Amino acid sequence: MEMAEEVYEKKILDKISDKVIDGIAWLMDKVRKGWKRRNKARIDEWKLMAYAFNRSPPGLIGFTLILIFLALAVIGPYIAPFSYDLPLTAFDSTAKLAPPGKVVTIKPGQLAEFLHVKPGNYTLLLGSDDYGRDLYSRILYGARVSLVVAILIMIVGPWIGIAIGLVAGYYGGKVDEALMRFTDIFLAFPGLILAIAFSAVFPDRIREFLAANPAVRDFLLALFALKPQHAGAMASLISVVVALWLVWWPGYARLTRGLVLSARENVYVEAARALGVPTRWILLRHIFPNILGPILVYLTLDFGGVILTEAGLSFLGLGAVPPIADWGRIINDGSAYFPNAWWLIFYPGLMILLTVLGFNLIGDTLRDVLDPKTRRSIEFKIKKKASGGK
Amino acid sequence: MECQPIIEVKDLYVNFYTYAGIVKAIDGVSFKICRGETYCLVGETGCGKSVTARSLTRLVPPPGRIEKGVILYYPEPGGKPINIMELSEEELRKIRGSEISYVFQDPNTSLDPLYTIGYQIAETMHAHGTVASIKEGIRKAVHILKMVLMPDPETRVKNYPHELSGGMKQRAVIGTSLSNNPKLLIADEPTTALDATVQDQIMDLLRKLRRDRNLTILLITHNMGLVAEMCDRVAVMYAGRIVEEADVYELFNNPLHPYTKALLRAVPNPLKRVEKLESIPGTVPNLIYPPPGCRFHPRCPMVMEICREKRPPEINVKPGHRVACWLYAEKRGE
Repeated sequence: MEMAEEVYEKKILDKISDKVIDGIAWLMDKVRKGWKRRNKARIDEWKLMAYAFNRSPPGLIGFTLILIFLALAVIGPYIAPFSYDLPLTAFDSTAKLAPPGKVVTIKPGQLAEFLHVKPGNYTLLLGSDDYGRDLYSRILYGARVSLVVAILIMIVGPWIGIAIGLVAGYYGGKVDEALMRFTDIFLAFPGLILAIAFSAVFPDRIREFLAANPAVRDFLLALFALKPQHAGAMASLISVVVALWLVWWPGYARLTRGLVLSARENVYVEAARALGVPTRWILLRHIFPNILGPILVYLTLDFGGVILTEAGLSFLGLGAVPPIADWGRIINDGSAYFPNAWWLIFYPGLMILLTVLGFNLIGDTLRDVLDPKTRRSIEFKIKKKASGGK
Repeated sequence: MECQPIIEVKDLYVNFYTYAGIVKAIDGVSFKICRGETYCLVGETGCGKSVTARSLTRLVPPPGRIEKGVILYYPEPGGKPINIMELSEEELRKIRGSEISYVFQDPNTSLDPLYTIGYQIAETMHAHGTVASIKEGIRKAVHILKMVLMPDPETRVKNYPHELSGGMKQRAVIGTSLSNNPKLLIADEPTTALDATVQDQIMDLLRKLRRDRNLTILLITHNMGLVAEMCDRVAVMYAGRIVEEADVYELFNNPLHPYTKALLRAVPNPLKRVEKLESIPGTVPNLIYPPPGCRFHPRCPMVMEICREKRPPEINVKPGHRVACWLYAEKRGE
């Protein structure tokens, strides 16, 4: 930390990132005593990474976009003025396909009480759809759906591929051939088409499963911020998740295998073998952590891809079923009224665009930051400026 | 001095299946290492020293394959041998590191950059059940670092490899190798990547460890000075075969094989005055199409007709001195 302070000219962002990293270090130190002292080098490394990141405008734009997306996904369902399935036409018959800026008045009465809406005047920021549902609220709920779907896919799908790639790359020979040809078979089919086939088969099974496991069902409903009566509709959303688990791994298998092929040539891997360290340990402790960087970058870049694919499947009528608010689904439903009700397509489309763009920008920057070679070059540039300024 | 073998290799053949063709890297190698001695394998780069050493625990990397041969390991002096060739991968794993251990050439690459050296020593012990947990292993690692004469072991145990010098790293590697009290240590050019002064320290350390812990060392090197300093018996390898094997004094005083003679003329001889260093004409043969007969014949100054056709037999010139060369077969009237 002293070296970093001497050499680099710091901007406000650097100071903020320093504070954040120091905060994390302080927390880790509270949880496990002595962590800070043991990992001093690591903390400095993180700070340098943050400096490099702070100097990449695309990275910062992506970071901002993702922060907004995450914030919307987490708190969106709480700040949304209406529920995702509330038909405003029940209060105001002109609320159907209302353009952005339309004011709807909700009168006090039994109906408002029954639907849990506070009476008053509401401005529909982004307009409403053919059932008179508020588009702004639906987009907020849709952010939650997108995030949860993406996370659910990412915590399973890629890891299947990573496991296959690790085994194939390390053992080589026939194991490698068999696993990689199996991967090729999956790669030969366009993932989207395979996912369509799978997601058409699964919903019934998943509905049965959810009915048999109420705890899982309630947990998922809470995650997606859905009402209990829409558990059936959620089943088709889950089926898309399962379908994407099955098609989302081949790229990771290939990437991991390639990385393992070069990582296993390291002498320390041979040394570990020569000293009788079990294969499982070699793979998990000496190979996997050493190839994590590129995999992390690919995961981040892919996050946008998953959101896009899920929206695409919903757009095609698989996945989210009405009345679940999903960005792809909103576009699909709105396409019947295009171009008159342009907002039904424009706003959810814009959200998808910005989210995917954000993940791509952040992934691209992470690649530069995580790769020590490119990061050094960024650091040298900073140093030069700092010394030139003195 | 009676020889109690610790490992015995009989008629070992190793081939590498490359796209260019089959490389016959090891072609009928046999030798025996006695308990407590330092046995040296010397030869030029690419003559099969390292492959031989790796074969001892079947660590030959693909596309290499051990074609034929018997490798007998004697866990107890005079006890029943284990044939390494017949063991399962799991049984082999238990032998590697705890019975037969390795030190590789470059300490800069043989330590994982992501872990402290204490962790890496602890992991090896944990893998063989010497310690119950990594934590206990790290505590014990301090003693091991003390044993390999690491300065300030309490601090160093928490250091990452990049925080250490080359010599310290090699000490850590040797510590890792010895953490499970192996009986045979295979040191594959342990000082090639180090400075001359550090080389000497590491060799002193190996000698001390050998004395203190009754280790047997198989030292692989191309440094004749090291051979003279460290070894009890020496085998000279050329193009995948052992051409001469003798006691170290015998080899330096009375080299028989033309290759050994040429090799000794090419380096300063610690026992004799040499006027001028000579190089060996020609290059190491391509082992995909090795020369027929004696593999050294294209470079041999004393080549005969028979050398081009038939593989020379191994001749015991004296007890403990064997040479594979037609010159000596004839003298004995064969």
